[in-house]
Amino acid sequence: MTATMAGERYVENKLKHDVRVSNMTAAKKLADAIRTSLGPRGMDKMMVNAKNDVTISNDGATILKTMDVTHPAAKMLVELSKSQDIVAGDGTTSVAVLCGALLDKCIGLLGRGVHPTVISDAMSTACEKACEILEGMSDPVDLNDRESLIQAATTSLGSKVVAQYSSLLSPIAVDCVLRVLDQERPNMVDLRDVKIVKKVGGTMDDTELVDGIVFDQKPSKAAGGPTRVEDAKIGLVQFCISPPKTDLENNVIVSDYTQMDKILREERNHIIGIIKKIKASGCNVLLVQKSILRDAVSDLALHYLAKAKILVIRDIEREEIEFISKTLHCQPVAHVDHMTPDKLGHAALVNEKQCGNGKVVQVTGVENMGRTVSVIVRGGNQLVVEEADRSLHDALCVIRCLVQKRFLIVGGGAPEVEMSQKLGYWARTLSGMDAVAVKAFAEALEVVPYTLAENAGLNPIEIVTELRNAHVAGNVHHGINVRKGTISNMKEENVLQPLLVSTSALSLATECVRMILKIDDIVPSMR
Amino acid sequence: MATAAGNADASVLREGASEEKGEHARLASFVGAMAIGDLVKSTLGPKGMDKILQSVQRGRNVTVTNDGATILKSIYVDNPAAKVLVDISKAQDDEVGDGTTSVVVFASELLRQAEQLVNQHVHPMTIIQGFREACEAAKAALERAASDNAGDEARFRQDLTNIAKTTLSSKILTNDKEHFAKLAVDAVLRLKGSGDLEMIQIIQKPGGSLKDSFLDEGFILDKRFGVGQPKRIENAKILIANTPMDTDKIKIYGARVRVDSMTKVAEIEQAEREKMKRKCEKIIGYGINCFINRQLIYNYPEQIFTEAGVAAIEHADFDGIERLALVTGGDICSTFDNPEDVQLGSCDLIEEVMIGEDRLIRFSGVAKGEACTIVLRGASEHILGEAERSLHDALCVLTSTVKDSRVIYGGGCSEMIMSKAVEELAAKTPGKRSLAMECFAKALRAIPTIICDNGGLDSSELVSQMRAAHAAGKKNTGINILTGEVGDMQQCGVVECFRVKQQVLLSATEAAEMIIRVDDIIKCTPRQRE
Repeated sequence: MTATMAGERYVENKLKHDVRVSNMTAAKKLADAIRTSLGPRGMDKMMVNAKNDVTISNDGATILKTMDVTHPAAKMLVELSKSQDIVAGDGTTSVAVLCGALLDKCIGLLGRGVHPTVISDAMSTACEKACEILEGMSDPVDLNDRESLIQAATTSLGSKVVAQYSSLLSPIAVDCVLRVLDQERPNMVDLRDVKIVKKVGGTMDDTELVDGIVFDQKPSKAAGGPTRVEDAKIGLVQFCISPPKTDLENNVIVSDYTQMDKILREERNHIIGIIKKIKASGCNVLLVQKSILRDAVSDLALHYLAKAKILVIRDIEREEIEFISKTLHCQPVAHVDHMTPDKLGHAALVNEKQCGNGKVVQVTGVENMGRTVSVIVRGGNQLVVEEADRSLHDALCVIRCLVQKRFLIVGGGAPEVEMSQKLGYWARTLSGMDAVAVKAFAEALEVVPYTLAENAGLNPIEIVTELRNAHVAGNVHHGINVRKGTISNMKEENVLQPLLVSTSALSLATECVRMILKIDDIVPSMR
Repeated sequence: MATAAGNADASVLREGASEEKGEHARLASFVGAMAIGDLVKSTLGPKGMDKILQSVQRGRNVTVTNDGATILKSIYVDNPAAKVLVDISKAQDDEVGDGTTSVVVFASELLRQAEQLVNQHVHPMTIIQGFREACEAAKAALERAASDNAGDEARFRQDLTNIAKTTLSSKILTNDKEHFAKLAVDAVLRLKGSGDLEMIQIIQKPGGSLKDSFLDEGFILDKRFGVGQPKRIENAKILIANTPMDTDKIKIYGARVRVDSMTKVAEIEQAEREKMKRKCEKIIGYGINCFINRQLIYNYPEQIFTEAGVAAIEHADFDGIERLALVTGGDICSTFDNPEDVQLGSCDLIEEVMIGEDRLIRFSGVAKGEACTIVLRGASEHILGEAERSLHDALCVLTSTVKDSRVIYGGGCSEMIMSKAVEELAAKTPGKRSLAMECFAKALRAIPTIICDNGGLDSSELVSQMRAAHAAGKKNTGINILTGEVGDMQQCGVVECFRVKQQVLLSATEAAEMIIRVDDIIKCTPRQRE
């Protein structure tokens, strides 16, 4: 009986082996696809979706998200990149590339007959060890040290389309984060307190940080209302300034033509009544929440508001209310009777500003401003603006990482080579399968410097071996200087990145590999 | 097999229906059941593998899981016998929450053995007879081997922790099992034996790592306070409601008002507003300082509440509302005319907390002290989903242990004890039944064999070593999967819940018996679809 069972099992194992290898190959293919976008000389990808909309990006998470992946294991790689985006916001390409390299090594180990759970356990210990090494080579950073923060942001922006504007964008990113940083919760940064307004037109040089708030919606001045208000008293209203409408359906019955006039007159009186009350509160800038049921502000109302010299901004989303009320220090008003001066926010200037083809409204000099900040991102065309927005987001995340974990390490492939070297030494002290698996892990780490060199058009083998030599000689901070095409001390070159980005990339990639290793079957499911 | 009318054996079945008889029927059901067993058996044990479940429907969602019940629930089964196994797995999940894989694997191993007996021309009824007696013997042996530490609180807690660790070691949480075992035990002990898992709320929050998960001694609602309302309320009196707070519509089809002037429309609008205001005032009149509604609270009522200093939380989902009502001891109400009839909920402190990047509302010091929340953190949704399933299993097992505090050693140890008892019985029993008993013992030993195989260990060697150790009277011997050797389970701390094991034994035997009895499968005509 045992003989037959063993025979059966042999066939079964072969099948399972195949599922595992096919999973790995699929995930690896995806990683290879985005490998060329790693590093400062990395290339961009153009993605065309079903609607023929084009996205050009260098951001790993964006590329993977837009790709329509069907293979379940490949989907896990997409998830992996997303997770890195949530945790660190940067290093989304590296994490996928690293995962691909680890999987490549795993296929080799499986082929040599190592049991998947053994590989999985060894990977986990190797990863822990690698994180320790990383922490060992990191330097603490002080949040008051603006220069270091800007350097870290610059490194992150270095690989993007917008790299040449990094001297402009990095200080913006640093200032944004430092401004929204809450002293009571020094380790938390809520990036939702940063509002980014995208406007096509102009060049990226026009991108600016606004000390106040910016509205994408232009003022409604159909009837010639003001576009610039000094010493503004801002009201945030959630009611509608339009003819009355009941929740019940209503019909107004007009039996003869004299009544027509009456109705029009009444409508006018109704609106004037509302506007008088608004005016009485002293309000001269009105932000009106969007209403789905009816016109938030009718044309007639706009006319009267213009006459009353009130600047109106329509179509404020309900989700934005909290942000606005926090920034402007005003309270939303849901009924005209509640409109009182104490609910208004005060600002020195509300001004409409030409911004490329469109216009935006800037509110500056806000009294008691909350911890929020707005940025206007400009660029020559839609694609550039989108990419600039994503890049700025990455830079913001990098600074946020530094707030959460205040350590910096060098970039340029130096930490990877160092880890690879140290793990290699460590592997020699181990015995059995663990040693083989740890060694494979160490080798896989070299994919980062290798790819960096390859993408920069350098000879990867030459560069990587040279790097190895440098690290053996004890030059811990030596990495690839992509601009000069040589290796040099990254610390002196000021190529710095947050520790959190590297450690989370490492541990997430390992976790993903372990998950894929443990899968032995794909089962179609009903749900 | 339906034959044409007018033939010698006239067809009694409607056209399209089919019938399989005798050997065919038995073979079909055995094969189906074994296929199910083979599907899930690689997930068994601490080194068991995972499966990807890929939805065939649109979206092609992917779930990665190690949980037998989840796998079996979602696969498409077209074999009647296989369906029986899926059902027992579901029953096991409802009953004790864990052992869902073991029960299916054991049942399919029993059937594998039964098939060989049938091939040796043992009558199915004899097999069943033998299985039943063997099951009785195994059950008695299991009861003898169980130990009970309910009297000693410290040791009972130790037992619970060990059980949780054993359950979790086969899941994704295995790396942090110490941490999660403590979480689960703390949560279950708070329940003080009531075993109401509704009280334990599990929230998934992507970000961070699994180690950052924590137990919060309160209730956490994933919602925000309204704009400009107090973010911290002490000695809260809570009214929980399910009522429309945007517009109070009259639900008569085609209801409409006819007026002849705009002022009248404005008046009606005003009246509607007044109505809402009265409703709000009634609610405020309850003397509450926190109002939670399942539905939307629109701007106007929100403002009234803000002015009255009442915190209003909108859009709390069904689940959240029901749990809140349970833990704060309040009623859910929809009308507000009889303040004296409504029980208000209460808690010591409501405040806004930050978890990861999100702001949530925490209710601490709630009326029902048992309630608590476990916040799971993890890298991706796959991991979080699987972590929740694993934790749920652990919680289920722990609550059943709290109800029946007997425990038993795991790692294949209890199976070996049972198999030994059954073999002893077989040696004493004359007749063909003893063959069935021996097969039952073999099926029991198949479980440690599979655990070994999944761990990449030499199963034949280890199982025979264990068998020898048990024969020599070392009753605590089992497989230590981490070192790959035979070891003392008491020292390793591999403990399982007695009820889970007993349930696995009984329901697997029952299911196997049911399938062996089958000698005829009649399939009805499939429903015609246009």
